[in-house]
Amino acid sequence: MTPLLDVRALQVSFGDASHASIGLRDVTFSVLGGDCLAVLGASGSGKSSLLRTLAGLQSSVAGEIVANGRTVTTLPAEQRDVVYLHQEPVLFPHLRVIDNVAFPLVLRGIAKAAAQRRALEWLQRLQVGDVAQNKADALSGGQRHRVALARALCAEPAVLLLDEPLASLDPAVRRDVRAALLEARAASGAAMVLVTHDVDDALAVATHIAAIGSGRVTAPATPHAILAMPPDLETARLLGIFSEVPGIIVPRADGAEFNWSGGTVAAGHLPAGSAVAVLRAHDVQLHAADHASAHACTVLARNDAAHDVVLTLRGANETAVQLRVALGTPVAVGDVVHVTLVNARLFPSP
Amino acid sequence: MLVVVAPLLVLIVTSFAHGWFYPRVLPSSFDVSAWADLFAIGAHRDALMNSLSLGVATAVVATALALPLGRAAALSPRAVRRTIALLAFTAVALPPVALGVGLQLSVLSLGLGGTLSGVLLAHLVPALGYLTLVFLGVFTRWDARVDETAATLGANGFARWRLVLIPLLRRPIAEALALGFLVSWAQVALTLLVGGGAVRTLPLDVLAMLQAGQDQRAAVGALALTIPALIVLGASRAAARNTPAVVA
Repeated sequence: MTPLLDVRALQVSFGDASHASIGLRDVTFSVLGGDCLAVLGASGSGKSSLLRTLAGLQSSVAGEIVANGRTVTTLPAEQRDVVYLHQEPVLFPHLRVIDNVAFPLVLRGIAKAAAQRRALEWLQRLQVGDVAQNKADALSGGQRHRVALARALCAEPAVLLLDEPLASLDPAVRRDVRAALLEARAASGAAMVLVTHDVDDALAVATHIAAIGSGRVTAPATPHAILAMPPDLETARLLGIFSEVPGIIVPRADGAEFNWSGGTVAAGHLPAGSAVAVLRAHDVQLHAADHASAHACTVLARNDAAHDVVLTLRGANETAVQLRVALGTPVAVGDVVHVTLVNARLFPSP
Repeated sequence: MLVVVAPLLVLIVTSFAHGWFYPRVLPSSFDVSAWADLFAIGAHRDALMNSLSLGVATAVVATALALPLGRAAALSPRAVRRTIALLAFTAVALPPVALGVGLQLSVLSLGLGGTLSGVLLAHLVPALGYLTLVFLGVFTRWDARVDETAATLGANGFARWRLVLIPLLRRPIAEALALGFLVSWAQVALTLLVGGGAVRTLPLDVLAMLQAGQDQRAAVGALALTIPALIVLGASRAAARNTPAVVA
């Protein structure tokens, strides 16, 4: 199947034209029609610059962008068949909602009545048909997002770019907009790219996830794959669901071993040196009794969060580590526990 | 309020007053002869028509030029933007006589001295300065995301102007047209210096009538100068009503 968006060795600059610097190098990925790639990155990592470059709102330094089989790298924004949605939806305030949504069709010379009929269909699909005759500035936050999405889909683009559509929304609107994005993905055959700093948003909407940081974009992977094995430590940190345990990889005759303050873990054939193990809550097992590969650790602190519990432990060498463990884990401050790490993902220390 | 209304009341009374000399508190009689003369006497009528046509042409041309110029300046790097703003401000701030002398030489070299076209060129200089500053201010605060949204939805440059920018800029465009008209309408020094007396406008006629001691006619001319100004201001406010502001 041919991807609707194909990005090859793209270089993206940061800043405005007068103070631009190369921000992202060798960005390569593709997105099939109907798929949604979430690009996950911290603030300032270049997420928006990447989208703006794909949309033609800022020029690329090198590389190629192919949309719907056509190289659009040097084309102006209006000729790319790529629609870009800002974080805050921008509706034309002088037009009614229905005329906002019909706007891309009117541009193509479709008669106003026919354009409005199509626009109303999209508004109804996204469950905002009842506000069709309203002025754009009379809508709630969630309605504005839905109307902007309806207008984008009405343009029938090959590629739909979403710049942090769920950021700075209160929880109720966030749920509403997430649902609208899923409806949009289902209703449209466009290749969608969504940038976000929130892993939950990415997991809720995307079919694939890539991480952006240190001037690179990682290869896209399914949400399950990236959670099971983040491609690097930076991505693991970005996902925000892993514990980090520092230690040292020591070579042994029968394979390397990762030594941390609470015990040891087999490290396969990784090279010797400082390393970090990343683990999800279910990768950490606590035992009350002695365990062959575990030292005794003392629970220094316990913080209960919504999805897991963060324990601060002091291990054999007096080093404190924080570990996420499953909700309801029956330990208290001052308890002595033995910890084994299951399925630790090891990365060289940065 | 009083300083605006009191002179206007005096003008209105004077325009109808016949034989109103000091120390009389009130005129001896009232008539409409001076008002009739404004339209009956060919020279006055021509001056009125010249003023109107110069005002309209200045408003339209200056707005048409200042709109893209102000936008280009706002989107330019800071050094370019500041240079354009400085030039525009200079055209506004220079004393009209100094500006007029300079323009006179330029217009003469173009062979347009003493012509309506020459005077129009001269009026355009301060009008363009004012309006460029107006649109520079508008586009400096403009929300660029509106253009970007229209562009990625498929609108080319012309369509963006036609379907988005101009409708959203109805208010500043109406105000700019009014301002451009008024800059020309009230112009004396530039008209006198560049027109060389061959181009008569209403303000010049009013001055000439005052110098000739024709107070009643001068009052009529002065009121005639006021009326279009008030109409233009009212029309621009009406056009601006209900226009949404689009600023970042």
